[in-house]
Amino acid sequence: MLITLVRRELLDNLMTFRFAAAVFITLLLVVANTAVLIKDYERRLEAYNTALKTHQQQLRERKTYSGGLLEIARPPNPLSIFNVGLDKQLGDETWIYHSYVPTLWDARMLGTTNPLLNLFSSIDIVFIFEVVLSLMALIFAYDAIAGERERGTLRLVLTHPVSRGQILLAKYISAMICLLVPLLMSLLLALILLTTSTTISLSTSDFLRIGGIIFSSVAYLSVFYFIGMLISAVTRRTGTALMLSMFVWGFSVLVYPNVIVAAIAPPYTSQARMVSTFDQIKQIWDELDRERKQFLANDAVPGEDPSFGMVKSGFAYEYFYEDSSVLYYHYGAGAHVEELNEESEPSVPHAQDYYRFLVPRSVDTAEQTWLVQRPALEAIFVQPAIVDRILLRFSPVGMYDAATQAWAGTDLHGLRDFFEAARKYRRTVIDYYYDKNAFRAREWFSADKGAVDWDSLPQFSFQRSDVRIHAERALPDMLLLLMMNLLLFMVILLVFTKSEV
Amino acid sequence: MIWHIAKRELYDNLSSLRFALATVLLLGLMLTNAVVHLREHPERVQRYRDRVSQYQNHIASHAANSLYDLAQEGPGNLHKKPSDLRFCAEGGEAFMSDRAWAGHHRWSTDTLKSFWILTYPSATPNRDNVRPDVTKVDWGFVIGYVLSLIALLFTFDSISGEREHGTLRLTLANSIPRHTVLIGKFLGALISVNIPFILAVLVNLLVISTSSDVHLGAEAWGRLGIIFLIAVLYTCLFLALGLLVSARVQRSAVSLVILLLVWVVFVVFMPSTLVSIAGKSTPSGPTFDFSERSWKIHGELRDEYSPRRHKEAEGSIKRIQIDGAYVTKDAEQQERLHEERLNQRIAEVHQARTITRISPVTIVQNLIESFAGTGFERHLQFLENVRAYVREFRTFIVDTDSADPESLHIFGVRTGMSQEPVNREAIPKFEDTLNLSKDFNTATMELLLLMLFVLVLLSGAYLAFVRVEV
Repeated sequence: MLITLVRRELLDNLMTFRFAAAVFITLLLVVANTAVLIKDYERRLEAYNTALKTHQQQLRERKTYSGGLLEIARPPNPLSIFNVGLDKQLGDETWIYHSYVPTLWDARMLGTTNPLLNLFSSIDIVFIFEVVLSLMALIFAYDAIAGERERGTLRLVLTHPVSRGQILLAKYISAMICLLVPLLMSLLLALILLTTSTTISLSTSDFLRIGGIIFSSVAYLSVFYFIGMLISAVTRRTGTALMLSMFVWGFSVLVYPNVIVAAIAPPYTSQARMVSTFDQIKQIWDELDRERKQFLANDAVPGEDPSFGMVKSGFAYEYFYEDSSVLYYHYGAGAHVEELNEESEPSVPHAQDYYRFLVPRSVDTAEQTWLVQRPALEAIFVQPAIVDRILLRFSPVGMYDAATQAWAGTDLHGLRDFFEAARKYRRTVIDYYYDKNAFRAREWFSADKGAVDWDSLPQFSFQRSDVRIHAERALPDMLLLLMMNLLLFMVILLVFTKSEV
Repeated sequence: MIWHIAKRELYDNLSSLRFALATVLLLGLMLTNAVVHLREHPERVQRYRDRVSQYQNHIASHAANSLYDLAQEGPGNLHKKPSDLRFCAEGGEAFMSDRAWAGHHRWSTDTLKSFWILTYPSATPNRDNVRPDVTKVDWGFVIGYVLSLIALLFTFDSISGEREHGTLRLTLANSIPRHTVLIGKFLGALISVNIPFILAVLVNLLVISTSSDVHLGAEAWGRLGIIFLIAVLYTCLFLALGLLVSARVQRSAVSLVILLLVWVVFVVFMPSTLVSIAGKSTPSGPTFDFSERSWKIHGELRDEYSPRRHKEAEGSIKRIQIDGAYVTKDAEQQERLHEERLNQRIAEVHQARTITRISPVTIVQNLIESFAGTGFERHLQFLENVRAYVREFRTFIVDTDSADPESLHIFGVRTGMSQEPVNREAIPKFEDTLNLSKDFNTATMELLLLMLFVLVLLSGAYLAFVRVEV
């Protein structure tokens, strides 16, 4: 019986104008945008590769350990084509330096494009689904029950020995099949476009993650179908059902996500915390500065110049770098002496002593700072963002967005993975320096007796986390979506069985 | 007769579900908009004031030293005045810098210091923002997206629905010309869409204007009036579209499906898709290319002037002249390079904006932006103001220098210029202004385009309705 019902519904739906329109529009939008998105991704990849090359070259030109910064770049995420999330928004280039712990907040953007083009919003595949598929689902659902009731066919069907649950199920299955056609077809085309692009190589894990995105899309679609069906079951007339569905759609897709984030005040109260933490960080570094000055005062050679007057050609630097808006503060000193002043040869051992004292202390101070900085950054920047995302989840759009971002790895977690890796790499580099005895070496500041050999320096490589971890991160939102499906189905069943035909 | 039909439509609509829902939706949105504006605007204005006083102190402190100091340091940061009508259109202000830096120095040697140049820092608003990226709820959003959707929901069944019910035949059985029926329906729908909108606008303005923190002047009210008229014109466009489709299609459900799809494509997707296709097909040169060029120019000039300088004795007139020529030429060329990059970027944005004009929502948002004094055109106005001021400032330096008899009138070197302190009152002050007539000029084209769209759709609806079989 169920099969007969499904077949009837399917035939009803497949021959409609709305089905043709749904397929056409989804395909058109997805294909057109995927082509553009792939191009955009390729451009970002190119910028990344250029950056890598530049970093390599900079490293080769660096002849002393302290004569510059080690730079690392974040590769663009190929799955950002599906849901761009924070991938393009946050910094993607950061420094590795012994007296500074890299954070998400002081990373730079790979500056290749015109910043004014940010004026125009960009879209991704998930956004298309968010808007179009939900609309389609409601258009398919609004007359599912109300329409049959109006035409009187519902009464006819119920004269047969079919349970009402079966009717609902049949309607649901057939409509979902119809809605899956545009979804899967467009995704297939997008995937074909992706695989034909030579620059994008997708691994098995990527495909599994895309599978996760598809699964979330189906769950999202089904939520909106159920919402439409519920409206259809509650209302007497199709006209009312349609109107109500459209307003529900407009509210949950268009209005709610924008209004709720705007209405929540940015946390101005955190200003005080920012100031106090920054003071604390400053004090930590002042402590280092005092010790440093004491060391220099107790020393045989006068002067504070980080290069002790040795530079004939080359450069020396010494600075306190600060940016109070992101709690960024550190002291850096070093030199890149190409040629030594002859008369300053005696002060070389002295400089070696100085750096052997200073650098390990700076490393420790940086880590001490990080202990203070991390919770403050969390409280000031991350907490409000998390609150926003929780509020966004009151709309299915928010759940869907969060789930697909987690699958794509473009959510906050995915991006923090990179900075976690950067911090780990900083430790690796420092350990390498310790192994090489770099802090006390002449090559720390001077290249006059031969340059540093960088060949044995461990390379930075960023591996995106495992599918399992992505699945774990997507799980709460997936569960929410599924629960919402279940809940809506129960409510519809209840309403429908109780309703009079 | 028209009024009769319009009134009937109006009564029909006023008691409908969609009217109630539209009212609630628009009221909610406009209230949020007002509350957010009241929260953010006073702070923005305060920040601007602080920065302006910083700028004035900067100028005054250098003017007290000497004319050379002032001429070498430059006026410093020039800030963009925040618009009082920012709640009407956010205009992507966050993506455009709110300042120009007329005080960028690049190098100094033992005796020489580079002169300031005008540069345009770029804004990176999102770098440390991990909050979700959403559209700002401003009037532009409410009008462009929500009001257009509501307009479609009010008209999709106005003809096809009546045909389905059979009342259309009844109406036309009376001796009423068809165009009267159409115009009546159009007016009825226009009024019933505008009632909730006007209500929402009034509540919004009431909340904003009663607050003591925000002050709206007479000109601002004029601008608000223009923005309201634009919103009405834009509603007309979608009402006409709704009537057109409704007249062509037999069933109202099909009519709504078509209208929604058209709306989704033209309003939601068209702007961003077109920009991605257009704007990104011509990437500007990477920044390191820019800095390479900058270094190259710097190096070439140094190599050209360095030997010539050292031939002359320190302190001789000849040496001062060469030094002066070196410094001024360096500043000129570097400034030209910055200008070039900015112009290239602006040209790209222009190109992208031209293409997105196919979408009515972009047109209306551009229009609202230009009358609210935010957005890209406003940014260009700001840059123009900055350039005019910079010219004025430089003329002032030259004039003051030539008024000093002890000066050698050689720019670029301390010894060649006036050493007298400058009266701070006499220095031209930068003030960023908004000009309504200029806004009108930039908006004319878009206004005409919008009207054209409305006319085409209205006549289309008329033709469709005249030929329709009842």
